Amino acid sequence: MPDNWSFVLAAYGLAALVLGGYWRRLLRLERELVALERRRGATRDEPRSAPTSPGPPIPRR
Amino acid sequence: MTSRERALGWLAGLGLTAGLVMAFGVAPREATQGNVQRIMYLHVPAILVAYLAFGVVLVASVIYLWGRAAGADRLAHASAEVGVVFTGINIATGAIWGKPTWGTWWTWDARLTSVSIMFVIYLGYLLLRAMIEDRERAARFAAVLGIVAALDIPLVHFSVYWWRTLHQPPTLLRPGSPPMDPTFVLALMVNLAAFMLLYGYFTAKRVRLLRQEEEVFA
Repeated sequence: MPDNWSFVLAAYGLAALVLGGYWRRLLRLERELVALERRRGATRDEPRSAPTSPGPPIPRR
Repeated sequence: MTSRERALGWLAGLGLTAGLVMAFGVAPREATQGNVQRIMYLHVPAILVAYLAFGVVLVASVIYLWGRAAGADRLAHASAEVGVVFTGINIATGAIWGKPTWGTWWTWDARLTSVSIMFVIYLGYLLLRAMIEDRERAARFAAVLGIVAALDIPLVHFSVYWWRTLHQPPTLLRPGSPPMDPTFVLALMVNLAAFMLLYGYFTAKRVRLLRQEEEVFA
């Protein structure tokens, strides 16, 4: 039987693509989550405006 | 990235390199099929790791339903995802191996069909999780599906005994010693170990990312 190296290369190449693709997906997700956490952290740390006076009491009718 | 994850990643990388050396440098050319038989070192470990991944889904799902442990749900989710990746590799490499040896990419053989059904079931499992917004409900429904879906694993494995199939009987998970020269078995075992390490690395990473996702979107 002929060796069919092209089929061997196709199988190993495809597996490398799938595993590499999944790994890259996890790395991208990790980067996105880190960026999102940083943005959220920055929003929390922003100085808040000083509390304002509630104003005079509203007279009851 | 945790130190355990990094160590697993490096070990998996080393294992895959060793696996390639074993498959192409140490294992001899098979007498009947020629070099195309080297696809076996990819095809067989991929399905065995998929069995492991879906077995973990089963156990983690039972634990989740028992005690509502969020960690078990995350493990089931991560393991199902990684299992689907390995099943996809198994089906694709099987088709590529089938063309030169059987003369066809695909046939409705019991083994091929049952593996494809398993692939679709676990894809459905991941879709179900993605479709339900309420995390607790998604986890509960997925846990039930994760238990029911595991029934397909023995069906896949024993299909070659229960029906007349084109596919050969199991190479490793069978009674008695493997029907191969020890060099072939060694190459297969090294690749299996490498794939298991890769499964551990992917799953550990995915579990941590799922926990992070929950914290960010809480």
